[in-house]
Amino acid sequence: MWIERKALALELPAVSGMDTRQLCEHLASLGFPVDGVVTREGAEVLDVDITANRGDAMSHRGLARELAAKLCQPLSSLPVAATAEGPAVVDLRLETPACPIYSTAVLELGAGSTPEVVQAFLLALEASPKRLPAVDASNELLHRYGHPTHAFDADQIHGAVSVRWARAGESLVTLDGVTRSLGVKDLVIADEAGPIALAGVMGGEATKVTETTRRVLLESAWFDPKSVKASARRLGLHTDASHRFGRGADPAMAQVTRDLLVDRLVRWCQARLIGAWTAGSASLRLEAVILKAPFLTRVAGEPVPLAEAAEALARLGCSVDLQAEGLRVVPPSWRHDLATPEDLSEEILRLRGYDRIPSVLPPLEGPPQPLSGAYLQRQRLARRLAHLGFHQTVTYGFISPEMDAPFAAPADRPAGRTLSNPLGQDYSVMRCSLLPSLRATAEQNLRQGAREVRLFEVAPTYSSGPRGPEERFTLGVVWGGTLGGEDYLTPARPAREADLHGIARDLGLAQPPDPRPLGEGLYGFEVAMSDLPPAGERIIPAFRPFSRFPSVERDLSLLVDLGQSYEELASAMRAALPGETLQDLRCVDVFRHKSLPPGRQAWLMRLRFQAGRTLVGEEVDGWVAAALGAAESLGAKLRA
Amino acid sequence: MDLLLPADIIEAERVFPGALAACGDLDALLRLKGAYVGREGSHAARLMESLKAAPKEQKRDLGAAVNALKQQWEEGIKARQTELEAARKQQGDLASRWDPALPPPVPAKGTLHPLNRLMDRLVEVFRPLGFHVEEGPEVETEAHNFDGLNIPEDHPAKASSDTFYFAEHPELLLRTHTSPVQVRTLLRVAASLDQHGGIRFLAPGRVYRKDEIDPTHSPMFHQVEGMLVGHGIGMQHLKGTLEYALRALFGPDTDIRLRPSYFPFVEPGCEVDVSCPLCGARGCRVCKGSGWVEILGAGLIHPNVLSYAGIDPEEWSGWAFGMGVERMAMMLSQTPDLRLFFENDQRFLGVMGGLD
Repeated sequence: MWIERKALALELPAVSGMDTRQLCEHLASLGFPVDGVVTREGAEVLDVDITANRGDAMSHRGLARELAAKLCQPLSSLPVAATAEGPAVVDLRLETPACPIYSTAVLELGAGSTPEVVQAFLLALEASPKRLPAVDASNELLHRYGHPTHAFDADQIHGAVSVRWARAGESLVTLDGVTRSLGVKDLVIADEAGPIALAGVMGGEATKVTETTRRVLLESAWFDPKSVKASARRLGLHTDASHRFGRGADPAMAQVTRDLLVDRLVRWCQARLIGAWTAGSASLRLEAVILKAPFLTRVAGEPVPLAEAAEALARLGCSVDLQAEGLRVVPPSWRHDLATPEDLSEEILRLRGYDRIPSVLPPLEGPPQPLSGAYLQRQRLARRLAHLGFHQTVTYGFISPEMDAPFAAPADRPAGRTLSNPLGQDYSVMRCSLLPSLRATAEQNLRQGAREVRLFEVAPTYSSGPRGPEERFTLGVVWGGTLGGEDYLTPARPAREADLHGIARDLGLAQPPDPRPLGEGLYGFEVAMSDLPPAGERIIPAFRPFSRFPSVERDLSLLVDLGQSYEELASAMRAALPGETLQDLRCVDVFRHKSLPPGRQAWLMRLRFQAGRTLVGEEVDGWVAAALGAAESLGAKLRA
Repeated sequence: MDLLLPADIIEAERVFPGALAACGDLDALLRLKGAYVGREGSHAARLMESLKAAPKEQKRDLGAAVNALKQQWEEGIKARQTELEAARKQQGDLASRWDPALPPPVPAKGTLHPLNRLMDRLVEVFRPLGFHVEEGPEVETEAHNFDGLNIPEDHPAKASSDTFYFAEHPELLLRTHTSPVQVRTLLRVAASLDQHGGIRFLAPGRVYRKDEIDPTHSPMFHQVEGMLVGHGIGMQHLKGTLEYALRALFGPDTDIRLRPSYFPFVEPGCEVDVSCPLCGARGCRVCKGSGWVEILGAGLIHPNVLSYAGIDPEEWSGWAFGMGVERMAMMLSQTPDLRLFFENDQRFLGVMGGLD
């Protein structure tokens, strides 16, 4: 909110001698940080950030009141004499408790325009003056004192006026020229022909004040914050008035602001008061709150004398009784936000200054809890992959249906994980897989000239469940491009499925998923975190004895069919060998060449034996022969 | 005396120093050695032969001369041999020496994402104070995301213009902050709070808000939530913990400043500034000359939040804070554009990520 320095000083003279930086620091220490300072229309204007709970501070007077309490300086008195009230000039009925008070007046306007200083004030706040005294005065009062008012062209009002809930089917053309259809939860000001204003939000076009307006009907009321907020939200109509009423205006200001408005019109354009009156009344007294000394001590971190607390609260306008049980505090009519001892404690701390809060480490009341296995598993996995040369990525959880579809399980309905209000189609489905995002990221990197991409992400993926999207943490890995070739010892070669398969095994996957081709030379796989080995709970696993006798290695070059399954061959060979001495059996080379018989390839199988004694050549020969026999039974032949 | 030696020997002796110097390697020297002092057919051998045939009275002098000559040659050859061996060794050394400037094979270097690194660091910082990690789902209920946090029914954050909802499950949304983890955790531990002596945890995670993608906004970002519940917890404990944590994070000279602020789920509420870690609070572009940078929002847990979870706010109290991870990462790294964190360019990750 824009705050003009000179206007602030009018409310609190102490401000005029203060430099801007100092003023900003005071405001920030009260909870109103200043986002910037600009000079507009020759005036210094502060952009003050006011939190949603402090509707009462959304004016020059409101902030001045805060500063006055902080600085222990007096506020200027309100420059107004009470307008003499008389009988109602127009029949005005309040039909709902949502509007308990409505102060009004009817005036006949004379000649004269908005004073230059007021126009300059409005311009400095980026509130364009209309040069219509009734409109500008209402606007000025809003910024200066925070209470929204409205002026109707009294001659455009048909018959009696009421404040009531709109009826289904009613509509209103608001001041911005837009036709608004109203519902039964919209509070309106209506005449006998229908709604003429949306209460606390915006006036109507038909009754607005123009150059030709002769008589005005003023409105200075109090509307229920909930109804104002609901209407503003439903109609997308956020106005200066709805902001203030929506946060809770000061009912005590209804009549005062009406008087201020009348006074301005009389002074600015020789308006003649036809009649002023107030319909209804507002209860100004808020509930008392009890603040006990131990409570305040606990919140503040040190004992705060109740007398000091009482004095601080009194400066904020509270009426405070020091009683045996503590302080009995009745907040002022403008502070609806003060309803609990916590609220009051904050006020006391705020005025004392948060810098006076001591700094203490909280004592440990029980044993700390360990980090969860699932969390540690993810942490360790991410570190492991990073050490294996992979970059961790972070991508959005929602993707386009087109990207998602090829990865979805047949039974999974994407509709069950689709947003109703996405940023756009491209961000509308909670992804069933990390691979589409990883693929897009990998392709983007390759397009940008990366030789090799190695990426992973650990994030939730989603599936449609009966009660909504179900999420589970998933690991996705992609690898593509060219490996090596960047030094004099490592030859260049394209990334292969086998490389990724090796990573999957390295992560401890008993059944590694087959890497999925994701495009030219790009492969990926993903696996649910729950399928990966959990973070180890034993610090050191149980001891397993190992042999210190020398191992014996034998190679067998086998001719096998091109379609031979490795797993089948290897298990057949393993089955023929004594499990306790076979340490390892693996294929260490594959040879395919036209010199081999057609349809055949050569696999170099390496067998390693070790036992708790020195192995004898003959027994190893026997085992190798047995392994060969097993291979031969599957059609393999020893390569000559 | 000289006359006693044959002419070819005299010539051989004259050319010896030149021939010696001309030997470029040990092979050549070996050949020269053979020619001058070899066992058979060399100049020295022939001289020894001729000595046998020399007249008796000359033998002594001639013998001395021959020996002197032979010794001279042998010494010359030996000296040259030492020279050549040294040269060969040096040559060998040069040939076998590896140039460390040659690009060596380097293991591929991966990285953790900078946002995850920052979150991990925060967990590390709070661990010694007894905080563990709590997590919750990203798909949340309105109850956990708003109601349990004392956020009023008509709060603007609930609007579909601010929060993503699910088409088939209008009561479900993408959590707009990590605070629903507070609600879930408190609900879970409420009954055993006495037994555990309260609870203290961090909740790092991804959150969603309906913001357009631009250099300072993203519809998905990360937060770290912190919460502590115990007996007699007040603002001093919040300040003490944050002072410890932010000093551990930014350095021992770091100052913190609490300013009043408002969040529905805390009361009193505050924003916390940290003395600018980039300029040491001398004033710079990042802190806009003020020496302070806003780093997180915090406060004492609102009694309604405790009551919602079934915890008696008369007995228990606590504090909570919430911190934007991207905002902090951008501030610390001076990254100009938020989108870089989600683009995942390996050049960005290589520099900004890391493993520590």
